[in-house]
Amino acid sequence: MASQALYRTWRAQTFSEIVGQEHVTRTLQNALRAGRMAHAYLFSGPRGTGQTSTARILAKAINCLAEDISARPDNSCPICIAINEGRLLDLIEIDAASNRGIDEIRDLRDKVRFAPAEARYKVYVIDEVHMLTNEAFNALLKTLEEPPSHVIFVLATTDPQRVPATVLSRCQRCDFRRICQRDTVAHLERILKSLNKEAESAALDEIARAATGSLRDAISLLDQLLASGQERLTLDQVHDVLGLVADEAVQELVEHLGKHETAKGLALINRFAEEGADLRQFARQIVGYLRGVLLLKVGDGDALLRLPAEMIAVMRRQAHHWSAPDLVRAVRLFNQAANDLRLNFQAQLPLELAFIEATLPTETVAPAARAPEEPAPRGTPARPPASETRPQPASAPPALPAQRPAPTSDVAAQPVPQQIAPVAKNPTDETLLGQAMEKWKTILIEVRNQSRPAEGYLRSSRGPLSVEDSVLVIGFRNQFAKDSMEDPKQKAVVEAVVSRVLGKETRVRCQMLAANDLLASQPVKHAPVVTPPASPPPPPEPPEPIERVLGRFAQERGGQVKPMPPAQGNG
Amino acid sequence: MLAQMQPTFILPAWPVVGHEWAVALLARSAATEQVRHAYLFTGPAQVGKTTLARAFAQTLNCQASSEKRPCGLCDSCQRMARDAHPDARLIEPQGKSGRELLIDQVRGIIHEAALSPLLGRRKVFIVREVDRGNAPAMNALLKTLEEPPPSVVLLLTSSYPERLLPTIVSRCQVLSLRPVAVHQIEEMLRAHGAAEERAQLLARLANGRPGWALTALTDESVWQSRQEWLDNLNHLLGQGRNERLAYAERMAARAQEAPEMLALWASWWRDLLLWQQGCPEVVTHIDRRETLASQASRLSPDQVRRFLMALGSASRYLEQNVNPRLVCESLLLHLPRWEAQPA
Repeated sequence: MASQALYRTWRAQTFSEIVGQEHVTRTLQNALRAGRMAHAYLFSGPRGTGQTSTARILAKAINCLAEDISARPDNSCPICIAINEGRLLDLIEIDAASNRGIDEIRDLRDKVRFAPAEARYKVYVIDEVHMLTNEAFNALLKTLEEPPSHVIFVLATTDPQRVPATVLSRCQRCDFRRICQRDTVAHLERILKSLNKEAESAALDEIARAATGSLRDAISLLDQLLASGQERLTLDQVHDVLGLVADEAVQELVEHLGKHETAKGLALINRFAEEGADLRQFARQIVGYLRGVLLLKVGDGDALLRLPAEMIAVMRRQAHHWSAPDLVRAVRLFNQAANDLRLNFQAQLPLELAFIEATLPTETVAPAARAPEEPAPRGTPARPPASETRPQPASAPPALPAQRPAPTSDVAAQPVPQQIAPVAKNPTDETLLGQAMEKWKTILIEVRNQSRPAEGYLRSSRGPLSVEDSVLVIGFRNQFAKDSMEDPKQKAVVEAVVSRVLGKETRVRCQMLAANDLLASQPVKHAPVVTPPASPPPPPEPPEPIERVLGRFAQERGGQVKPMPPAQGNG
Repeated sequence: MLAQMQPTFILPAWPVVGHEWAVALLARSAATEQVRHAYLFTGPAQVGKTTLARAFAQTLNCQASSEKRPCGLCDSCQRMARDAHPDARLIEPQGKSGRELLIDQVRGIIHEAALSPLLGRRKVFIVREVDRGNAPAMNALLKTLEEPPPSVVLLLTSSYPERLLPTIVSRCQVLSLRPVAVHQIEEMLRAHGAAEERAQLLARLANGRPGWALTALTDESVWQSRQEWLDNLNHLLGQGRNERLAYAERMAARAQEAPEMLALWASWWRDLLLWQQGCPEVVTHIDRRETLASQASRLSPDQVRRFLMALGSASRYLEQNVNPRLVCESLLLHLPRWEAQPA
């Protein structure tokens, strides 16, 4: 009554049935033919790519009684049949994950010495070998290095990094690869044919895509779908089980996105959620679709996309809704949403947020030309801080204004204020200054390669200030950074890099910025979320007493902090 | 998109809310004896994973004729419902404070799986929250999961399938349950005797989780804390920093409740967002429409979006074990404030 899972009934029985691992099967077959088998193999690769199957086939092939060596395993001799039925005494399959201790391995080591009962070789298949304990691995080493001549070890794992190097070096290693979509589909078709069932080719494509290179996943999914009992497997069924939505629906959403129809888009997302679509998959589908649009936008994407022509036509039209950077941003946003959706918290929310953000005009979020010293956004599509007050990470709550008006740790991230434009006196210096500003990032990177501290000092500086007679002046706000930079060793590094990048012998001078310059560069970007700084920052005045700066800053931040005693009034 | 699976096969009524496609699939495979050896049910907490798994276990051993399974009346079904069937085991994480699935538990499964069923046709193991298994335990399960003895069926559930070993997932038939539609939860609540308005609201608040809705219906404290949390949120909007920090301290003192509170707040702010973007028909908090409307008009879309993001990162930080008080303080400082800034 028990019917076996398809992936078990369809376990490969000969080398030729192993899908997509020709590089492994060919090697093994050649070794068999030449009679030059290694005494230990390590099969590694992603799940469901055929390690265990190949191990069993290998065991059969070595012991097969067929006359013709190239026909082994023939699956008809007593030995092969015994292995297929799982009753050959000389094939010992060990589940290393549940027998992972040193005792099991000692036991194995003791038994290895006995000659095989009926076959030519004793084959030990140690599956999930990465789970052995360290002691167990070490106990195995000697045996693995020089086993008795009648023993062959096959270690199989999905995680070769966790196998000690001493074990790796004693084995011949075979790396199994992910199985490509075409091979997977072909294999699924073979299975369907043998079961006398049919399927839409798009449905099989979708299954293969969902399986991401694991044949077992693909067959399991097919199995599950066939259980619904219909004659013909349709794309809709696949979508149903995987919680995917139809491609047309994704297209519709992207259409709304392109036309900035927020309300319609949100309604659509909610409809899918209500209908039971898997929103995470949905987000991935959107990412996939936008990727297509992006590829078409930046060039010849047709070849890369395995899609029907009419869909490509629509994508091509939609590509006009966006500029390439906007598209990239949208892809990032939805990708992020797909990651955020993992939290079981307000199912639709990340998707809705991504949608709304993607419809926001770019100008308000990504000014093109920012200060050169601005750190590159990390990972998430964080926008430059000047216009985007992204919530601060909780691990670094905003410094309370009363304590520190100008946190120096923030300095590096600040844009160069417009008030102090860099100056150069003569034309050569001017071009040099231009170059220096343009290539500041490159300089920072190059410096980083030679001296991390120097890079740190430079990052906390305000960048090139001026060039006077081929001397690049760098402005500092922080005495410590300036002093450290003036250390001859660090300075030499920077000068060498600057000269190389600018292609001209250049010296470097460090200069402290005057107090009013500092005030002018007070952070605008960390304005409170409550009120975007509508009023312009007060005009720079001659050096202000620190209490006043403090008071004003406090006000900008929260508005409710008592002035520092003695009260100096508010700026 | 859900209606394609039924035609040739009439579903028996399973004691499960929603998930028609999954029920159809399981019932069909039970009826045609195409049951696989391992299934993995994934989906948000309280969406009905264990309920579905148990119903399937009942079906497999039910003594009624095949089209009536699970009947819920026979001895087998009854025992199963009480978790007292000798051939069905419900395995839950034990370990330290019940948060871990241990290798000994898995060894227990392996051992018991080797025995043949006592009363029923199959031995069924329901392993809840497999993702709580530590690495040795999960790996120990692999071989049994791949090729268990005949007549053994393993039903695993997990809310976080991405924490599972990929090798576990690929050995199972994966049924990823999605949130249940609002109207279905509404019907269920009405069937349990909820008043019309309460049913509507709870169904929306449930976020597609029938289990949560049922708890909320019977447990008055869930309802009260919802009211309290929302009132607090609205109150804090008008408060200054001192008030907020004081509240953060109180929040942090009850850190276990914080994630749920943040989720509730997020649902409120999501409503504001939807309201502002012109989708008032899909909001969750239908009993507080007026407050929503007035707040939506007083806040800028940008403020709403930002605070939602702050909420998102706050709950992420809580999950990552950041000091709850810091998280709450930072969050509340990001909460927009009503009064304009003093000049």
